[in-house]
Amino acid sequence: MAENSRTRMIMHIDADAFFASVEQGFNRQLRGRPVIVGGEAGQRGVVHTASYEARACGIRTGMPLIRAKKLCPRAVFIKGDFAHYRAVGESLREIYLRYTPRVEFTSLDDAYLDIGDSVHLFGSPVYMAREIRREAEEKTGVSLSFGIGGSKMIARIASGLDKPRGINHITPEHEKAFLRELAVEHLPGVGRRVKEKLVDLHIFTVGQLAALPRLAVEQMLGKNGRTLWKLANGIDEREVERKVVPRQISRETSFPRDTGDEKAILGGLQYLTERIARRLREQSLSARTVGLKLGYADFSRAARAKSLERASSDGAEIFGMVRYLYGQMRLKRVHIRHIGVSVTQVRDKSVQETLFDGPRRAEALNSAVDELRERFGFMAVMPAETLQLKSRYRNDAHGYILHNPALTR
Amino acid sequence: MRYLIGVQTSTYINMKFEDIYEPIEVITHFQEGRLRPLRFKWNGRVYKIRQWNGFWINRQGSNRQYHFSVQADNSDFVELMFDDADLQWQIARVCLDG
Repeated sequence: MAENSRTRMIMHIDADAFFASVEQGFNRQLRGRPVIVGGEAGQRGVVHTASYEARACGIRTGMPLIRAKKLCPRAVFIKGDFAHYRAVGESLREIYLRYTPRVEFTSLDDAYLDIGDSVHLFGSPVYMAREIRREAEEKTGVSLSFGIGGSKMIARIASGLDKPRGINHITPEHEKAFLRELAVEHLPGVGRRVKEKLVDLHIFTVGQLAALPRLAVEQMLGKNGRTLWKLANGIDEREVERKVVPRQISRETSFPRDTGDEKAILGGLQYLTERIARRLREQSLSARTVGLKLGYADFSRAARAKSLERASSDGAEIFGMVRYLYGQMRLKRVHIRHIGVSVTQVRDKSVQETLFDGPRRAEALNSAVDELRERFGFMAVMPAETLQLKSRYRNDAHGYILHNPALTR
Repeated sequence: MRYLIGVQTSTYINMKFEDIYEPIEVITHFQEGRLRPLRFKWNGRVYKIRQWNGFWINRQGSNRQYHFSVQADNSDFVELMFDDADLQWQIARVCLDG
């Protein structure tokens, strides 16, 4: 079938409270109970995922664990295990790929499927969704919600409307009506600030936004306004991409106790940088801008970012920038509780020809390190400074088990 | 990965998970390329596995760690782990209630 003549049909699949759902799936004592993944009840830190039973008690993602315990004393608190969630995520991938080869995995628990060419094999998209849901529940215990529509946006919005275990199919003839009555915050790109601006202008629904002239929305909201106006009018031509270049890759952790020990802080930062660099190389990506985030014991936060001369996936090069940023930022004589490293301006890697062999030497070294890690685990080769963490964290071959294991990837 | 459906949950108060990671002895059944723990000995006591909830594999370089979520005959939830690097079983996690 010619590309332009085939029916465009996108399915968005979102796992319901993924981490909590995995824990409930593998331990039937947890089913029907409020489950909170993020840390132990008395531990400092925040809720990463709350099961629907916990959400009914008012627990939300990002809420301090201590507050969550007060709100829901009977909840079960679990530190979480990212390796387990990753394994379940891989099982879900295998299932999706049996239904169509055109799958875009946006995260472990979230994917777009282009089912335009394969839906006829299953009769209807809703039947297809039911089959995927049944198979996923049987194999992993995780419940899924589905949105089906003519574009990624419609599919994504639809999957979020009827959670958990919902299946929403918005047919092309109903798309306009579906969008018209929808609250404006359902549109991707409408955050708290944009919503406030729109509410000030008495714009509450997508239909009201769509009725405005495009230039007016652009003037109001800048560059984002044009995209929002298009989405409000149901214009979304984004294809399902098999390889997605992430906008940002970040790794963060909290220390079990606030610390002022420079060696421990820099060791932690270098470890997080190594994890980012490995992820970049795994996916043949490189990044140009490096960001550093520090959370202090007095709950204040500081963040700064700076670009490298050229995009890189070399841990040592990225850490050089992290160290520079740290030197610029570490003026406050307060202990640190939380650290984070991020890279943005991520792009497909292209090896640039250079006059000098520095970058090529680094490439060769990195590929040797990656090979060793592939064979013997991530901890097989580590920068010496990160060994500071040995006295603070338990480790396995995969890496250190940080303060928030649910996020240790 | 296998998963068995059914059985309504019972009410437990103060359920808590604890990481153990101690070597244990396990009687295992191997069939058609699959391994399945049947009994394990921990702290001098033998536990019979009453229910098998599921398993997952954690890749550690070229090695694999096989995690099994099981229910022992005393109704405790236990996570067992078999590491093919040293062919050793460990009790990874237990779920304590009360």
